[in-house]
Amino acid sequence: MREHSTQDEDTEVNMTPMLDIVFIMLIFFIVTAVFVKESGETVTKPEAATWRQLKQVSVLIAVTDNDTVHINREEVELTAIRTIVEKLHKENPKGLIAIQPDDEAKAGIVMKTYDAVRAAGVDRIAIATEKK
Amino acid sequence: MRKFSKADDEAEVNMTPMLDIVFIMLIFFIVTATFVNEPGITVNIPEPNENSDPPPPDEEKRAIAFVIDNNNRITHDFRTIDISSVTSIIKRESVERPEAPVVIQSAEDGFAGNAIRIYDAAREIGIPESKIVWTRKK
Repeated sequence: MREHSTQDEDTEVNMTPMLDIVFIMLIFFIVTAVFVKESGETVTKPEAATWRQLKQVSVLIAVTDNDTVHINREEVELTAIRTIVEKLHKENPKGLIAIQPDDEAKAGIVMKTYDAVRAAGVDRIAIATEKK
Repeated sequence: MRKFSKADDEAEVNMTPMLDIVFIMLIFFIVTATFVNEPGITVNIPEPNENSDPPPPDEEKRAIAFVIDNNNRITHDFRTIDISSVTSIIKRESVERPEAPVVIQSAEDGFAGNAIRIYDAAREIGIPESKIVWTRKK
């Protein structure tokens, strides 16, 4: 009888391997979690044959064909870009900031955006494109 | 004896609440994980107020320049060209003058897409990234 009872206890599912996996997944997701600030605006980006996958994107800035600039789901003025980017960049100083220009966005506005981002002290800036 | 052994078993730490928390954290991080797959290129845009040196008179180093005006016409050496001929022009001129940089001058209202396409064409040919510049039309 006693023997039988211990046998019964042993047949409980061993949770340890599953817990190991769960912990490893948890750590993986915590480490890779970058909270990307989406621009909140879809633009038709120009195609580029020499595209590369941008790594560690932290902020996306959309420049639309209506001459508006969108950061973090809000439309912003050209003059305000610098302060906003400074603030967002502080949250993830190693992140890359990608400008998503519309194919028909004005070059002047894209360049002013680029200058404002650079003035905010960001050294990793890229232009988002479509794969070709 | 039997009773004692049972009490000993129950003194094990109860893991269930911790597991609940771990699972909730796991689900939270899985849900918020956004794997941004953003293709893109890096471009050289010089600072606006930088008084760049006048182009070197040296014929060998004369830039392969493209100008995009406010009406999106692309001109090269004072001739209006089509976007599709950009690749062949850069190819031909970079063979003649291997040291020459590629300069794209965009007017304020020219489309960014055109400049990026020329930029991309130059990169595709194999011009080093440091020698391709996208700048403002003066």
